Amino acid sequence: MAQTQATKVEHLLVLENIGLSFKGVKAVTDISFAVAAGEICALIGPNGAGKSSLLNVINGVYQAQQGRIRFAGEEHRRMRPHDAAVRGIARTFQNIALFKGMSVLDNVLTGRNLKRRSSWIEQALRIGRAAGEDDRQREAAERIIDFLHIQPWRDTLVGKLPYGLQKRVELARALAAEPRLLLLDEPMAGMNAEEKQQMSRFIVDINRELGTTVVLIEHDIGVVMGICDHVVVLDYGRKIGDGPPDEVRQNPEVIAAYLGTRH
Amino acid sequence: MPTFTDNPQPGTLPQWLQQQARQQGTGIALRHKRLGVWQVRTWHQLAAEVQHLATALHVRGFVPGASLVIVSRPRPEALIAALAVQWLGGVAALLDPLETAAAQVPLLRELHSEWVFVEGHEEIQRLRAAGLAPRLLIYADGRGLAEVSQAGDTLAFAQLLQQGSDHRLEPQARAERTAFAFYRLGVGQRLEQQRISHAELLQEGRRLVHGEQLGRQEEALAARTFAAGCQARYLLAPWLIVGFRLNFPENLETRDQDRRELGPTLVVGTRETYERLHTQVLARLPEPGSWRRRLVDWALVAHPSALQRHLGYWLIRRPLRDVLGFSRTRAPLLVGEALAPPTLAFFQALAIEVCTWPDPAKWHCPALWPAPLVNGWIEDSTQPA
Repeated sequence: MAQTQATKVEHLLVLENIGLSFKGVKAVTDISFAVAAGEICALIGPNGAGKSSLLNVINGVYQAQQGRIRFAGEEHRRMRPHDAAVRGIARTFQNIALFKGMSVLDNVLTGRNLKRRSSWIEQALRIGRAAGEDDRQREAAERIIDFLHIQPWRDTLVGKLPYGLQKRVELARALAAEPRLLLLDEPMAGMNAEEKQQMSRFIVDINRELGTTVVLIEHDIGVVMGICDHVVVLDYGRKIGDGPPDEVRQNPEVIAAYLGTRH
Repeated sequence: MPTFTDNPQPGTLPQWLQQQARQQGTGIALRHKRLGVWQVRTWHQLAAEVQHLATALHVRGFVPGASLVIVSRPRPEALIAALAVQWLGGVAALLDPLETAAAQVPLLRELHSEWVFVEGHEEIQRLRAAGLAPRLLIYADGRGLAEVSQAGDTLAFAQLLQQGSDHRLEPQARAERTAFAFYRLGVGQRLEQQRISHAELLQEGRRLVHGEQLGRQEEALAARTFAAGCQARYLLAPWLIVGFRLNFPENLETRDQDRRELGPTLVVGTRETYERLHTQVLARLPEPGSWRRRLVDWALVAHPSALQRHLGYWLIRRPLRDVLGFSRTRAPLLVGEALAPPTLAFFQALAIEVCTWPDPAKWHCPALWPAPLVNGWIEDSTQPA
């Protein structure tokens, strides 16, 4: 039988007509787009375009006043950050949010909290399920540490690490939760070219090796075009482009608003 | 308890491995740090894995005298692969894994080996850049190789190991045949090689074992790149002869931490090894002129008074030895070029008496390349007399 039927794309995340405003100031207006399972999707746009706000809506930090979000086939009107984490959404932040006085390993282990089955009392007294669980959680954390090549700093206090490494530790902590969807808010901000290249490679590896769907905000267009399957362009809270990198690159509105008009 | 001086003595590395497995099967042969934990292999397990891999390679047509090119950082799989081809009478050809792609690709092109073991994706990219299509490509780390691993000529180490049977294939290595080969591109990009036979390795290994009075209680760390003749002579051969523990670090970046954790008794290093450690210490010393620095400088100078010596030892020298991972080292060996005077003086001040052993490496151009097949063996024409 001839295979004429087009392959149906499975969407992990669907945003429909999302609107968000703060005291009457519109941050995001009527945004709709879908992220296919297994893709790397970039949100790009000038500062103040609403990218981080949108990421905050996806993982429940902000509640959209308008629109619907569908994640993994389930529709959510109001999702709290904890619900998002339980459902498999993890994120990193524009400004690093790690426990600076804790070691790399301990920071990564905090990402495993939702995977623990023992109660706090079992953990405090190291009885029941807690006893065997520690080894399993440690092994899972070590796998992430190995994956992101941060073994040499396993026992180092995070506050003593250079910025680029702290970004990697934050990524490790997010990955430790074994997310289906990983939201990365400017994962390469402030990095030099070599660090950006390394981080890009890790993001691609996370996507290909672990099968994690990634939505990232990034200002480096070279990186975005190089590693992403799908690009959504925002400008003043509106969506002005949505498609594969090559298509978005040709979009005149995108060129004018963000990439710059050719003279 | 049997010792390495028992007669009759095996004449090849695989025979020594067999002997160790017989004599101390449950003793620990290898330790490798993985996911933050030291994983162990007993002599019995190691010998079984080597034998399984050897039978799998044999089934795939690996003939005595053939070479397996190995491009890998120190890891147990690379060592097991080397021992497996030696079991079959083959040659483990080790290339420097830290060499740049620009330098290594022409060398790989020149070698055009049919049998290759690589660590992972990066090395496979190099093989591709060299236009190599080996008969069998074995890789240790499958990360980034989802598409590659589908090909029939490319197999994960673990997969190949599973294909090996329990069929008892006796070691086919011969004492006078090459065990390890090392290659480089010399003047005018001409291929140069260094070949070391089983007999030569064992002879020099025994010399070291006698000279340094090595025993089974030793702990050694294979922290250098897995591609130097001196490592084969002074680490691998003594390890098989004596039967001590060989430890592999988690990776090359963690080797200093792993050494500190382990406290090896036997250290086989080059000038670069010791100078790197010296530089690391210098970089972390307190500012010159500060009281802390003056205390360090005072402690590193020999004092006539026993009290001063003890104070210097407990306050500075002992902690410094711990930090360097030399807390238990009793055989710190230097192979090849001598240490620079300041580095030598630094280690002497810590009571680490670095003992120099020669590196008799001889590089020469192969007479016939590739070597012909004679009586089922790939002719080892350049074998040293």
